[in-house]
Amino acid sequence: MILIIGPLYSGKKTYAKELMNWTDDQLAQYAVWDVQDLAAAHTNLEQLAEKLSENKVVIATEIGGGIVPIDPQQRHAREAAGRLTCLLAQKATTVIRVFCGIPTVLKGEVTL
Amino acid sequence: MITLVIGGAASGKSEFAESLVLNAGELPRYYIATMQPFDGECKTRIQRHRAMRKEKKFTTIECFVDLKRVLLPLKGVVLLECMSNLVANELYSPQGAGTDAADAIKEGIEQLHRQCEHLIVVSNEVFTGGCSYEGDTLHYLKVLAQVNRMVAQQANNVYEVVYGMPICHKGEENTL
Repeated sequence: MILIIGPLYSGKKTYAKELMNWTDDQLAQYAVWDVQDLAAAHTNLEQLAEKLSENKVVIATEIGGGIVPIDPQQRHAREAAGRLTCLLAQKATTVIRVFCGIPTVLKGEVTL
Repeated sequence: MITLVIGGAASGKSEFAESLVLNAGELPRYYIATMQPFDGECKTRIQRHRAMRKEKKFTTIECFVDLKRVLLPLKGVVLLECMSNLVANELYSPQGAGTDAADAIKEGIEQLHRQCEHLIVVSNEVFTGGCSYEGDTLHYLKVLAQVNRMVAQQANNVYEVVYGMPICHKGEENTL
């Protein structure tokens, strides 16, 4: 599984399509995105990470920056999102961070 | 040449961008200021930046909207700061381009680039604080991100500044 992370609107899906040479339909079929939003509703993040890793590409938005949210639910959601993404990074063969549309390989190798 | 310098609040991105200008040598130096002095806080910030640029021989040009109308008398180095203000002005000020903000800025950047040797654009990293935004904030983030990606694509060099330390995402690190 390839994990693609990056700030909000940094061009993660566009890069995934470019990397895999996919169409929008293929992206929808083989990739899953906004996985940071799934974490809060799961008690077993390991299981969720395992399930998500069955996709060829998993895309997560970095949401851990900024002020810790005052609302307990939002705080929990952000915490869970971070923990989930750490688990995904461990399971991934390759981790790529997209910043302003520019990819940086954080783990593994990519032959472009 | 275009260089994009991006960083969070108080990351040292301005100081780094200014150091790039100084390293470009004895070329005319223009500073394009995009922040409108709305209140005391803005004025204090502007004063702090003016003090930083003192002795560095910058000619300051204020441009709150419509970047393409900026005319530079000589071909030199241009520091545009900050894209986050320019996007907000184009989107929300009465004189702004409104829904055409991103296109207007793209055209402005191209015009500026033609008039100088080196264009350095400073922008703000505000995209890792969550994704549960709505309305105007969401729209603003989308447009700023679009402009950042557009400038990054055109740029020869892209730096992210973290507490005064530049991370090179694109181009040559030896331009420092």
